[in-house]
Amino acid sequence: MIPSRLAVHGLALGYEGRVFRRGIDLTIAPGEIVAILGPSGSGKSTLLSTIAGVVPALAGAIEVDGRDVTRAPIHERAVGLIFQEPLLFPHLDVAGNVAYGLRRHGMSRSQAHARAVELLDWLGLAGYGSRRVDELSGGQAQRVALARALAPRPAVLGLDEPFSALDSDLRQRLSVEVAAMLRKADVAAIHVTHDAQEAATIADRVVELSSLGLAP
Amino acid sequence: MGGSAPTLTAVPTWLRWTWAAPALFLGVFLVYPLAVLGVTVMSDSGTSVVSALLSTSIWQVTALAVTQALTSTALALLVGLPLANVVSRYRFRGRAVAQALVTVPFVLPTVVVALAFRSLLGSGVPQGFVLVVIAHAYVNLAVVARIVGAQWAQHSGDYESVARTLGATRWRAFVDVTLPSLRSAIVASAAVVFVFSFSSLGIVLLLGDPSTRTLESQILRQTSVLLDFPGAAATALVQLVLISCVLLLGAMASRRSPARRIRPVGLRPLPSGRVPRIAVLATAALGAVIVLAPVTALLVASVRSSDSWTLNWWASLGSVDAGTTRLGSPSAAIVTSLAYAAMTALVAAVVGGLAAVAVIVPGRGRIVALLAVVPLGVSAATLGLGTLLAFGRPPLDLRATGLLIPLAHALVAVPLVVAVVAPGLRSTDGRLMSVAATLGAHPSRAFLTAYGPVLRVVILGSAALAGAVSLGEFGAATFLGRASSPTVPIQIVRLLGRPGEQSLGVAAALAVILVVMTLVLVLVVDRLGTGRMRQPSVAATA
Repeated sequence: MIPSRLAVHGLALGYEGRVFRRGIDLTIAPGEIVAILGPSGSGKSTLLSTIAGVVPALAGAIEVDGRDVTRAPIHERAVGLIFQEPLLFPHLDVAGNVAYGLRRHGMSRSQAHARAVELLDWLGLAGYGSRRVDELSGGQAQRVALARALAPRPAVLGLDEPFSALDSDLRQRLSVEVAAMLRKADVAAIHVTHDAQEAATIADRVVELSSLGLAP
Repeated sequence: MGGSAPTLTAVPTWLRWTWAAPALFLGVFLVYPLAVLGVTVMSDSGTSVVSALLSTSIWQVTALAVTQALTSTALALLVGLPLANVVSRYRFRGRAVAQALVTVPFVLPTVVVALAFRSLLGSGVPQGFVLVVIAHAYVNLAVVARIVGAQWAQHSGDYESVARTLGATRWRAFVDVTLPSLRSAIVASAAVVFVFSFSSLGIVLLLGDPSTRTLESQILRQTSVLLDFPGAAATALVQLVLISCVLLLGAMASRRSPARRIRPVGLRPLPSGRVPRIAVLATAALGAVIVLAPVTALLVASVRSSDSWTLNWWASLGSVDAGTTRLGSPSAAIVTSLAYAAMTALVAAVVGGLAAVAVIVPGRGRIVALLAVVPLGVSAATLGLGTLLAFGRPPLDLRATGLLIPLAHALVAVPLVVAVVAPGLRSTDGRLMSVAATLGAHPSRAFLTAYGPVLRVVILGSAALAGAVSLGEFGAATFLGRASSPTVPIQIVRLLGRPGEQSLGVAAALAVILVVMTLVLVLVVDRLGTGRMRQPSVAATA
């Protein structure tokens, strides 16, 4: 049996006293990309936030590479997140953003910078390292956010409709590119979206949120 | 600020001249007195000013004042930042009360704050550096909490979440992500706190010792005790230059801050963990205690003699013998202060209101509005001294008219009035004027149709604010007041200069009355505060 990168057992999701779903079971293999499909407000983003530890789980367990992280602090879970907006740190340049996670994982400044430049090259952003983040286009900014999230080599990466703010052509193109890169990076990815076409483009497996667990 | 930028095309002619009245007022009551001060000092003793600047004593006092102001700023930030976080970001029962309480110290007259801290800590903490720093930090809690809180409230916390998912601990995310994004607000509030503490007078006089002299108290000493006018001019010059530099640095630092896309974020629920939740609530409760303790001590001092509770101090407020120098009773001082406050409110609202209107009209208005802010940078003592030299001696002696204090207070209040009125006017859609005009309104009517409603509200609110400023002002009143008709803050300081528990008790009772009068005026400002007014009043506080 292939070991799972992420395993979720009996998870209950909620926020501010509202329960979205309970009894969620989900496993994702290394290198697998799973799209979770559901309408706005159904709790897709809360699922990602709960796995990453931004929102506490109401019940159930979350395992990353066989380690129970249900009560672990966010920074010790090895779960990366990409939000709808790139949320690049405005006081750091592009390379500084990408290097941020590497520095937090103990890499020296020069090593982290060199690795960031490599990653940027790999993502087609060669020469962008010293740019200010407000000089980037929407697509470039989202690619930098991807590079930043992948840099510390997370076991699991959550993508919260990261292309929703882009126009449809760019969204299509970037979806294909990102899927290829995620596969190369061998990360287990959960991509939540309300767009069935985008889900089919990017994912190995598409799951309806409504099929996971039970409504409250 | 909502609404689109005003597009005033068909402006009535009289509106193009609104800048003239504030320009005249500032020219006569700000520029002329300062010029007279400069000319008097330089012509009498130009070389003495230079030698005063070269003496070591002026720089020793400057070093003391800088050290004190830096320490006060650090303490205000240390206490104010956690309060800003809690009060501006979390939703909990009593949050609105906590937010209102945090603002209270800033609107209290400095003399009252000084007396309150004397009542609270007087027996435990000796007068001097520590007491002065604590009182300065107390007054400026609101500056930090409101300026930084306004920026912090815009944080969704997503950036911190990103940093956490990249491996940052909670503290690391705060240092790496939260602090840099708050930098401009922190620097701006620190600059304001520094300037306030650096140029403080009332608190330093009542709570300080020789090691806590500020340049402002030094100016007062040089002019009223040592009669060293060249020395005072040199001190005023050093103070003006230093304050301008700090305010400029603050403005530059806030401009250099990186832009972040701001999206409105509502209040967040309390943290889910037990410890963080308790920490938030405990911070709010501690803030309330910090704010209320000195005020409560003041109240107690007004009804307490050495051995029992008493209402004697309150009963003797009407008496000329109430521990004073017998130059008017405490209640007469209240009447004087109220009269000055009313005059200040009228003059400041008219002058500041016209200056603010000039801002939205194409032409010279912006320059006048900029000039109207200058009094903020001039020390009250310098302003008082200049006014005394210009209008307090023959051939033009206005002291007997009782107009000098309200005029000086109006100068101090005009920048606040502009800060309240101008944003209110700017938030009005100027196209309403065009709409009124297309419906047949002549230019003046069209202007009043578009701007009249907001003008009425903001002018009344800013007049109340100007009145509150006048009630608590101490520096200029020290120079310009007549011995026979002191204001309440002056009377309080006189009382405290005399020994005996009666003096202290009556001073405390007077201070309580001053607190009530000030809070009533601030509540008026807040009451008039529709959504449109609230933002400007934050700006005014800043």
